[in-house]
Amino acid sequence: MAVDGISFSVEEGEIFGVLGPNGAGKTTTVETIEGLRRPDSGEVSVCGIDALREPEPIKELIGVQLQTTSLYDRIRVKEAVDLFGGYYRKAIPTATLLEEVSLTDKKNSYVSELSGGQKQRLALALALINDPGLLFLDEPTTGLDPQARRNVWSIITGLQEEGKTVILTTHYMEEAEELCNRVAIMDHGRIIALDTPSALIAGAGLESRIELDGVDDELRAMLGRTDLPLRMVDSGDGIIIHTKKPSLVLKEIVRTAIQCGVDLSNISVRRATLEDVFLALTGRQLRE
Amino acid sequence: MKILARQVMLETRLFLRRKDDLFWTLAFPLFFIVLFGLIYQDVVWEDLGLRAIEYLLPGIIVMALMTSGIMATASGFVEERERGIYRRLSLTPLKRRTLLGGQLIQRYVVILIQTILLLVVGTLAFDIQISGNLFWSWLVVTLGALCFLSIGFLLTGLIKSARAANGISMIVFFMLMFLGGIYFPNDMMPDFLRTFSNTLPSTNLNDALRAVMIMGLGIEEAWRELLVVGGWFIGSLAVAVRLFRWE
Repeated sequence: MAVDGISFSVEEGEIFGVLGPNGAGKTTTVETIEGLRRPDSGEVSVCGIDALREPEPIKELIGVQLQTTSLYDRIRVKEAVDLFGGYYRKAIPTATLLEEVSLTDKKNSYVSELSGGQKQRLALALALINDPGLLFLDEPTTGLDPQARRNVWSIITGLQEEGKTVILTTHYMEEAEELCNRVAIMDHGRIIALDTPSALIAGAGLESRIELDGVDDELRAMLGRTDLPLRMVDSGDGIIIHTKKPSLVLKEIVRTAIQCGVDLSNISVRRATLEDVFLALTGRQLRE
Repeated sequence: MKILARQVMLETRLFLRRKDDLFWTLAFPLFFIVLFGLIYQDVVWEDLGLRAIEYLLPGIIVMALMTSGIMATASGFVEERERGIYRRLSLTPLKRRTLLGGQLIQRYVVILIQTILLLVVGTLAFDIQISGNLFWSWLVVTLGALCFLSIGFLLTGLIKSARAANGISMIVFFMLMFLGGIYFPNDMMPDFLRTFSNTLPSTNLNDALRAVMIMGLGIEEAWRELLVVGGWFIGSLAVAVRLFRWE
């Protein structure tokens, strides 16, 4: 069983993330809501409509980008958008849509000639064609380079500003933290946590992490004898400090550094991430 | 209705861009009619009372029908299904019957074009006399189209992967072609093979089409053959509907 006994609701206008490792059941979950899969039991309500009983009217209201969207190879970008537009009662003009996903200069290319990022953007355009209020994006940035990922992120935030609701799945923590108002963390077909990213991080009671490269001896000695709540780990060329009281620890570090005339140019402070939350909840890394 | 028309346009466009479909459905049958036309130009098969090329033309038409109805249908549909295209389309309001209707109409149009093309080349280049009733001939061709399209869709229900679809549909095609008396009268076959051959839709459609189109006999003269083709049509359709899979 891919997904078992999960229940959640998504508010209008929010970006809702479904986060988890591969095989956690993210895709199964969203595809069940989209109407691609039938659950053995349970209820799905989309925009107030019983999605299991009346799948047809929902199709006009939602837009879907599947994990991999397959289209006919020998169809041009513009033709594909026109084609999908023709299926809906109302459709955004092809030119407007291609502009929005920056594919205007590719409009006469065959789908088979597009790069991975361009195919993703075309899939997104097809999901947006009927100007849906609710969008499902299944791993919209998987396989994209960092710049293309940023690009998709800004499109998604733009969609939220237009008042659309977005449900997205991802196995990138930073993506969930950056984009999502609320996140459901899934593992083995169940939701193991659901909240805003910052509440999830705060709620897990995790330590911040202070890294010092090329650390001064006196600084190291001070950290060794202090009674502040911290754990110190040698990282080879420096030290990593784990603490739940970063401000106190930082204050001591800064004080000692000024005393010894050391520049803290090699310090970095990182708060706990959703990655750490997942690790704390499951004992496993998100991407193994 | 408007959406159906658009689907037909789409399928036509895709067809024209698929080089292997164009080859098998148009170039391949044309190659055969020209080849046999040149080889048998002046040969008369006395015992049949027909010129060899007149005997062969209906067979080549049947072969052309099978390239569209069986080969292009089975491999095209399985490939699009395997690639998840139908899955993506199922998220749109497009009705599946409209999608299917577009494909069937497009294939039927290609079948009519194939038939007309072969008739035109046959009559103009090789002086074949079409003495039969054109309406009856069209009816026989249409029954054949329905029969082979059903077999094509039956295969899509049996075959899982696109790679297998290419191979299997080609095997079915060549079996029906060589055992169907298309390139030589099946009187030349040993008894057991001829008995088998006489049950095939290709053999019967071939004989019916020759009787109605070339020999100018009434459609009632070919009722036995047409009954067999019709039986294959109904039977394949029933199984095809049963096994049909969108995913």
